[in-house]
Amino acid sequence: MKKGSAYTVLYAAVLGIICAVALTAVDRFTDAKKVANAQAEEVQNILTVLGVPFDAEASSSDLLAVYESMVGEEEIEGLEFFVSEHPEAGKLRATRFHGPGLWGPIEGLICLEEDMRTIFAIAFYRHEETPGLGGEISSAGFQDQFRGKVIQGPSGDPGIHLVNDGADQINEIDAITGATMTSDKVEDMLSEIIERIVARSGSSGA
Amino acid sequence: MAHNDQVVCATCGGSGPCDGKGRETLRAGVWVTNPVSVQVLGICSALAVTNKLENSLVMGAALIFVGVGTNLFVSLLRNVTPRRIRMIAEVAIIATFVIIFDQILKAYYWEMSKQLGPYVGLIITNCIIMGRAEAFALSNRPVVSMLDGLANGLGYAVVLGIIGFFRELVGTGALFGHQVLGADWYTPNQLMILAPGAFIALGFLIALYNAITGINKLEGKGS
Repeated sequence: MKKGSAYTVLYAAVLGIICAVALTAVDRFTDAKKVANAQAEEVQNILTVLGVPFDAEASSSDLLAVYESMVGEEEIEGLEFFVSEHPEAGKLRATRFHGPGLWGPIEGLICLEEDMRTIFAIAFYRHEETPGLGGEISSAGFQDQFRGKVIQGPSGDPGIHLVNDGADQINEIDAITGATMTSDKVEDMLSEIIERIVARSGSSGA
Repeated sequence: MAHNDQVVCATCGGSGPCDGKGRETLRAGVWVTNPVSVQVLGICSALAVTNKLENSLVMGAALIFVGVGTNLFVSLLRNVTPRRIRMIAEVAIIATFVIIFDQILKAYYWEMSKQLGPYVGLIITNCIIMGRAEAFALSNRPVVSMLDGLANGLGYAVVLGIIGFFRELVGTGALFGHQVLGADWYTPNQLMILAPGAFIALGFLIALYNAITGINKLEGKGS
């Protein structure tokens, strides 16, 4: 049977509609779960980076309760900070940062000690980097390197540098082998947020 | 010619829903023309996600799901799909199944969804799925087409499982995240976690496959 153009257009339209309906249905069906997952993870990220203890198996409503009782919010000239009192490290402030990665956006949280210069913790909680390579930015091994580092170099220049040949300065981190592009982009987005932090808290700095 | 040159399924014979090609189809996808070890397709994801066994198996499951679903629908629509837009139609069907799998993963297996990153979405461009839809489902009946999707998905999953098993074991000394080689005496060879390890593991696997099947010996006879 010879099929004309009208048939082709009709076929494409019908197939497109069926696919769209199927996808919408699946999206509706999974939406509540996805939102809860995202919210629980958001709260978990903030609690983790602030060093607030919580039960990893807790439900999303329990996590939210812990968050509300332990974490305050503070705004310093347009930058939003999550504030919490740590039993040993004192008052900690965390703020979000984001920027483009290699395959998609990267989002993270950086948590600073009271001096607003020393890094207490960092978390890259959302990214689409290559698993096993750039994806390692969300591994504990990479993130733990930031602990205790300072967001300014010895001469006061703001920024954290990801280097290849041994991180020996107070603002240097060992980059990930095989993930140069991701490392460069991470360095860029950290520089951006650090410059904003330093500019806003210049007088209170160490 | 219908009788002698085909392996007829014992279960339903030549007149069943598989047109007597069931066992042959299954064997072709999993072993004889395995999409990864023979046709060397789907290599991008096979190299990228196999640094952990669990990731490999979930990726295999994704390919089975998409392969079966796509082949079923491409086959059901094979007589009404206009020839000139058939590939666009195939991609639309593939993309639908891939996104469904991705959404389910995001809802019920959040951690895994984060680890696989873009690779579930990239199944849309996976040559195995498109290839089977074009080469098989377009000219065969629905049940045997689903079987073909299943067979090729399984063939992919088995290869990924084997690579993932060795990469995670050698690279971290663990399986499914549990330490199986003692941390006190085993030093993980991180090369296997990185990209070169994937090439090495896949190379060994294909070499082993060729040694077992003797593919190169047969070729050698001709020259």
